[in-house]
Amino acid sequence: MRLVNRLLGRRSDRAPYAIFGGIAADAYKTRSLRSRLMPVPIPKQLVLPLSQNLGVDAVAIVEAGDLVQKFQLLAEADEPGSVALHAPTSGLVSSISNATVADEFGSQRLCIHLQSDGEDRAIEIVPEADYRALDHLQLLERIERAGICGLGGAGFPSAQKLSLGMKSGIDLLIINAVECEPFISADEALIRERGASVVVGAEILKSACLASNCIIVLQEDRADAIEALKKALENSSIELMTLAAGYPVGGEKQIIQAVTGMEVPSHAYPASIGVLVFNAGTAYAVYKAIADGEPCVSRITTLTGAPLQTPKNFETLIGTSVSFLFDLCGIDTTRHTGTIVGGSLMGIQLLTLDVPVMKTSNCLIAMSAAEFPPDEPELACIRCGFCAEACPARLLPQQLYAFSRAHDHEQNLAHGLFDCIECGACAYVCPSHIPLVQYYRSSKAEIRAQQRRQLQSQHWQRQFQQHQYRIKKQQDEAPHQISGDAVGPVKDDEPAKKNRSREDGDKTEAAVFSRERAKREIAEAVARVRARKAGHIASPRTDAESDG
Amino acid sequence: MQTQPSAIGISSPMQHSQRSTGRLMLLVIAACIPGVATATWYFGFGVLINIMLAASMAIILEACALKLRGRDMRQHLSDNSALVTAVLFGIAIPPGASWWLVAMGIFFAIVIAKHIYGGLGQNLFNPAMCGYVLLLLSFPVEMTSWHIPNDALVDGSSFSAFSLAGLRQSLLLSMPVFGSAQMSSPDSIDGLAMATPLIEFKMAGTGALLAAWDAGVSLFSRDSGAAWELVNMGYLCGGLFLIYKRIISWHIPCAIIATVTMMSMLFYAPDSSAVYGTPYLHLFGSATMIGAFFIATDPVSAATTVRGKIYYGIIIGLAIYGIRVWGSYLDSIAFAVLLGNFCAPALDYLCRPRIYGHGKKSRSVPTTEVEP
Repeated sequence: MRLVNRLLGRRSDRAPYAIFGGIAADAYKTRSLRSRLMPVPIPKQLVLPLSQNLGVDAVAIVEAGDLVQKFQLLAEADEPGSVALHAPTSGLVSSISNATVADEFGSQRLCIHLQSDGEDRAIEIVPEADYRALDHLQLLERIERAGICGLGGAGFPSAQKLSLGMKSGIDLLIINAVECEPFISADEALIRERGASVVVGAEILKSACLASNCIIVLQEDRADAIEALKKALENSSIELMTLAAGYPVGGEKQIIQAVTGMEVPSHAYPASIGVLVFNAGTAYAVYKAIADGEPCVSRITTLTGAPLQTPKNFETLIGTSVSFLFDLCGIDTTRHTGTIVGGSLMGIQLLTLDVPVMKTSNCLIAMSAAEFPPDEPELACIRCGFCAEACPARLLPQQLYAFSRAHDHEQNLAHGLFDCIECGACAYVCPSHIPLVQYYRSSKAEIRAQQRRQLQSQHWQRQFQQHQYRIKKQQDEAPHQISGDAVGPVKDDEPAKKNRSREDGDKTEAAVFSRERAKREIAEAVARVRARKAGHIASPRTDAESDG
Repeated sequence: MQTQPSAIGISSPMQHSQRSTGRLMLLVIAACIPGVATATWYFGFGVLINIMLAASMAIILEACALKLRGRDMRQHLSDNSALVTAVLFGIAIPPGASWWLVAMGIFFAIVIAKHIYGGLGQNLFNPAMCGYVLLLLSFPVEMTSWHIPNDALVDGSSFSAFSLAGLRQSLLLSMPVFGSAQMSSPDSIDGLAMATPLIEFKMAGTGALLAAWDAGVSLFSRDSGAAWELVNMGYLCGGLFLIYKRIISWHIPCAIIATVTMMSMLFYAPDSSAVYGTPYLHLFGSATMIGAFFIATDPVSAATTVRGKIYYGIIIGLAIYGIRVWGSYLDSIAFAVLLGNFCAPALDYLCRPRIYGHGKKSRSVPTTEVEP
């Protein structure tokens, strides 16, 4: 149909394009959507990692022993990649120390430990009655101050994304509520119950990045959410688009392809083609930041999995521990075999339950042996090509796998290894149960290490060349002192030239001499450095003496 | 909850589809059933005996090879790939072939063509066809004689191939050791050379055969024309089943069949006495169907990119027709497939799809890819 339209030179308005590849995985979403969105009681202890996206740490501006109130700023963002952090409730900062965070290695990161006093006293916040009264720079500044980062999972600071987009100009703002990964239903629950706020959030984002168009995208099987959105969108310029169910149609690059038919150039941001993509949860956080004046201290997190008696979506305070949430849902520990943060296809498996929910934690899955059977042994790749059919980047996973096994990184790069978005569609369909994504990750790490080594060796080579150059210069400037001793007496006229020709003529002699010379130079340099060091240490003292 | 150490380093995705290599291979074998059953119906138990012999030897050799290579035997045997090789090999060699012929071919297929190259997934060439070609080159007479039990050819005695006598004859053909006395008597076994209709056509010219062909197919007549036609129909059904189940993609079989059809249409001259047959004869009077759907689609040795698969199919199709018509060999699937295998790595390299975000299309509206 679309082909016909294209041949006739027209395109039915807002019909989605097809993405490359993709899979149809069991969704497991209904169970967590049976109950309403629930607020979580305030836990006694909150652990707030200074980096909410496991990137750059924000700088803590409170100290252990401080009493803080809800919404109070705890850490400010001072570097690109970091986001501000606010107190989710009132209480006492018990310490600022390392704690385990939600990553697959169970690593320790610097966290603010907050002991809640249960009173939930908030600092005064200023709701904004009409966001239209603010210009886009003011909006941007407030979004930044509210500590909002991408709540869909990647956690890129939203204000930075907006200002990055503004530099190149934005035609289209996409609000991504596709949520194509199995098990996650946070965005669907949010839109179903607070669709109007999401729409306002989208409008704020639209005026913050000066986009000319905005579109909210959902999967077509989310009937309740679509209905809620349609109602909310009645008097809005924002459009609604539904996509056929499939994974990973909600990936940033894929949703852009589905909506616009354009592809984001390799190694470029979507802004480079005039598109920005924000998650629906982020739009809601923006709404709260502007309309209510509340910084980002909570998020909607799906709690699901067969071992949970009442799977549901919680409005969770950032910093709440995973085990606290599981206990709220009534977990059957005998069936619980592991925990995933994120979805079942791109999420990471936690090593311990004592980790806090972060701004990026959209879903927590309690695994059971029935839903997540133990990994079957890896068999040989038969090059069936199912992975290539599934790959949304149109890579050839079977070839990348062979190159990764052979550590043939030149071929890996030629076959686009770094265009892999690690969606896991290839490994999902692999009949030989090969953990393909793991191979690609380790190849990527190897290549990065190789490049680092190369840069380092280039650096040292440059240093060495500069060193050589300095010696040469020294020689040219003072031929008597150095080369004169080494090569023997030379006449005063044209000393450097003579010296050079002499060395060329008798290389072995020069080599012998130069080794001795080098030794002497090293000794001299060491002596110089010692003298300088002694001088340095000595100088303040003498200064002090002279002052006194 | 305690996390066991084995959980450390588990990489996403945590969810998997239910497909497994072992099951895929079993489905391929299942898809062979219609063709094999038809062949057995017409050519007697020799077909089944070949397959059984080849399968048992293949499993033993596979197990030995895995043991020698220090691999986990149970885990790797469960991929059933040796079984598929054996079934295809058993189908390819003529019924009534001696056991040592089967043994030699399967040894070459499993041990030399597969495991010496590094096992499943590493072999450049289709193992079954390697074994077949070795035999064809070394024992041309044995490999082109289709021994059929005597009674099977007598009109009207439609069930004799399945009678105990027929079974015994077939067994004796395969394993003359057990009955060397009878073997010496030429009467007990009809050493009739009965190859594919295409071969008869090539040998006999047009004449009588075309007349018989035009008379149409009679299901129980047991003449070789009807037999091959139905056997090919069986493999066609099996192949369509594999495509429906998405175990093989349509690209390779379609490219082969289209190429063979085009070539035979192009060169067909009804009144000439040359060997070019009708397209129908080329498709259903020889081993084209099993070659297109089962042999050329062996994923390990075939091209894996979409465009690569199409070129691969075209190359095989051209070779099938070319060798049949202008070459000295009677049928040509094995050579054609091996030729395709030679080209596959280069095709995969040359036919890499445009990666998302690369090339000039990354800014414009992508059009659907036009396949050659």
